[in-house]
Amino acid sequence: MLVVSDLVAAYGKIEALKGVSLRAETGRITCLLGPNGAGKTTLMMSIAGILKPRRGSIRLGDTELTGLSPARIVGQGIALVPENRLVFPQMSVLENLLAGAYQRGDKAEIAADVERMYDRFPRLRERREQLAGTLSGGEQQMLAVARALMSRPRVLLMDEPSLGLAPLVVAEIFRIVSELNRDGTTIFLVEQNAHMALQVAHHFYLMEQGRVTFSGSPGQLAEDEVIQRAYLGARRAGG
Amino acid sequence: MIDFVQNTIDGVMIGASYGLLALGFTLIFGVMRRLNLSYGPSIMIGAYLGTLIYVQFSAGPVAVVVMTVLGAVLAGIYVERLCFAPMAASAGIASMVSSFAIWMQLEQAAILILPRHTYPFPPLATGAPLELGPFLLRIDHLMMLACALLLSAGVQYVIYRSRFGLALRAIIGNPVAAHLVGIDVKTSVMLAFAGASAVGGIAGYLVLAIDQQVTPMFGMWATMKGLIAMMIGGLGSIPGAILGGLVLGVVEAHSLWHFGPQVRDLVAYLLLFACLVLRPSGILGDAPAAETSIGRRSA
Amino acid sequence: MDDYLIGVLSNVGVISFIALSAYLLLLIGEISFGQQAFFAIGAYAAGIATALWGWPLAAGLAWGAAVAGAAAVLVGVPTLRLHGLYFAIATLAFAEMVRLLCELFRYQITIDGEPTGPNGADGFRNIRYIFENDIGPLQFLVLIYALLAAALLGFMLMERSRLGVAFRMIGEDVALAGLQGIAVARFKVLAAGLAGALAGIGGGLYAHLTTYVEPRIFDVMLGVHSLAYGLIGGLGTALGPLLGVLIDIGLLESIRSLAGYRMIIFGGVVAFLLIVRPRGLLDETVVHYVRRTWYQIGRGRGN
Repeated sequence: MLVVSDLVAAYGKIEALKGVSLRAETGRITCLLGPNGAGKTTLMMSIAGILKPRRGSIRLGDTELTGLSPARIVGQGIALVPENRLVFPQMSVLENLLAGAYQRGDKAEIAADVERMYDRFPRLRERREQLAGTLSGGEQQMLAVARALMSRPRVLLMDEPSLGLAPLVVAEIFRIVSELNRDGTTIFLVEQNAHMALQVAHHFYLMEQGRVTFSGSPGQLAEDEVIQRAYLGARRAGG
Repeated sequence: MIDFVQNTIDGVMIGASYGLLALGFTLIFGVMRRLNLSYGPSIMIGAYLGTLIYVQFSAGPVAVVVMTVLGAVLAGIYVERLCFAPMAASAGIASMVSSFAIWMQLEQAAILILPRHTYPFPPLATGAPLELGPFLLRIDHLMMLACALLLSAGVQYVIYRSRFGLALRAIIGNPVAAHLVGIDVKTSVMLAFAGASAVGGIAGYLVLAIDQQVTPMFGMWATMKGLIAMMIGGLGSIPGAILGGLVLGVVEAHSLWHFGPQVRDLVAYLLLFACLVLRPSGILGDAPAAETSIGRRSA
Repeated sequence: MDDYLIGVLSNVGVISFIALSAYLLLLIGEISFGQQAFFAIGAYAAGIATALWGWPLAAGLAWGAAVAGAAAVLVGVPTLRLHGLYFAIATLAFAEMVRLLCELFRYQITIDGEPTGPNGADGFRNIRYIFENDIGPLQFLVLIYALLAAALLGFMLMERSRLGVAFRMIGEDVALAGLQGIAVARFKVLAAGLAGALAGIGGGLYAHLTTYVEPRIFDVMLGVHSLAYGLIGGLGTALGPLLGVLIDIGLLESIRSLAGYRMIIFGGVVAFLLIVRPRGLLDETVVHYVRRTWYQIGRGRGN
């Protein structure tokens, strides 16, 4: 279980996270919804160790993750599919996957995992020698997910996987999210697409202006209200 | 005609040393996307330490090579820690100016180690030159050419076939994503810097062993020749570095023969200037990348 | 004032011109490693004018500035299309070309039975204007600082004018400046020309101060030093590069006990400053703070 407690992160004097606490239960899909600028990406980058939080703790099981380098955090079993995918554009699809397995030494197992990724994402097999920068947005998203899975994470973090993708591709991505979860991966997902996210999530949080403002299961709040708050913020939704 | 061919041969041989210098240079640029002006002076520190043990303790050639490479690597790491690691990647100019500041430090440090203007450097091979019909081929020149080709092939292999090379290319492609897949970016960058300095150290050793002497001008000379060859060949390209070096060497050899040393240097800079204005990406470089700016409050 | 102090201050003043020249280009966001080329052109042109053609000093200095400025415009047109690093290296290549051309440049006239004028690598000796016209070191010092004050005044006026705003906008963000309707290319070439002329005045003063110039002093070291002066002194005000010169030449070069270690100290100071203050001691924040405080004091007095 991934547990975030009272996390504070800031850029200069501006606090982006003002004491965030939440948890992602093992074996489940947890989803974080909120408008632009709520601090969702800051939270993801803090968990991955790219940003250093001011205060608070991030624990995976019994291990404290704050203060560890990004590489050590990957070693602990966390993999982030970043916002905007960030594939390695000048490297082939295959090389991107191998980079995802950078910390692993088991060559045969890595090769088998590459095959598994190709089975799960057949488009990647077709394009394995192609440079990642030349793939379509949807294909790059598949590659980013596959690359993250290559490290065999205990928890998969996904930051806005639907961003900028066509509706059909978004549906495909969420189908894969459910599938991965059914196969046993714990998933913590940040989204703006509340409709899709609520269909797959077991539990969800709402975040506004650096604070968690709601926690519950998808049935607990009418979807309209969730969408209003996720896009527009609570005040206007309430008023 | 005979002169023309002999000049071209000599140019290729000298060009091999320029190519080797450019190889380390371009490697640092490729990974950092920033220019390290201290590259030559770092090599000079290695060369001076090598000379020191040769002059003081009459060390053998192997010890001199090891000392030269080791010194260059240590000086290179010093530069990386001081001028590159503490600054944001966007602060390319701050790093470049800072590396120049360290250039002055290293040069003065070298002069403090060995204050005379000229010191002897142990030769590489003293045998008579090979005769090929009317043409002469110096053995040490051939060794340098072989080293240039072997080392560039080796570097190419490491970058495109090894796990370390995969990490470096990932860092070049997207540093944040490199962190996210678990690459230790800081250490990898430092190792790349050290490796590039080692290549520079080997280049420096070969050049000095052929000249058989070392002077305080060597640092600037190495930076300048490496820079010109690298830019002509295409910034960040490994085969481009060697090719750029060979082109520079051949052009220099012919202009030296016809017009003397001052015009030779003039032609070298003219070549660089024309290349930048007409084709900034060089012979083999990729599209002009590396937009650099002054480090705007990005400490 | 003793002669030594006058000498040091004269040097500081003369070098300040080339530091200001590099600073002006930094304002538009361009790094030049080659302002020493225009310093050299100014020195040769002004020296030739007074020593060979018998022009008065003022005309010689103006001629030096004009030739240097024109050369800077000519080089600026093809090179300013390049960006960042590429521009920096192009200026470096150009400056080295100028230095090597100076080593080849011979133009001698026999004056008073002595051949006078640039003589290749031996340089250009006997630029004796200030001796022949009985200008003492102190008088020349006053001249240097009067011209420097005029240049600084020019900078201050420029900073308040539309021109200064255009320069700083280009330095902040070229694309944005273009979208705001600023003719970026023209302003850049204008800045390069002005910077060249500034360096040219410095060169002319230098030639007459030392009475001889050698091509080898116009090497890369001079160029990168002038760049470093602005970066350590600060990019917020034209006083920044002057502070840089003062720290290096006024302080480090003058303390003789440091002789063997000057470069080690100066290099270390520059590297350290670039880490903790990437835009120099007097950066925009400091300048803004000082201005605000100044206005507040002024307003306090007014009440």
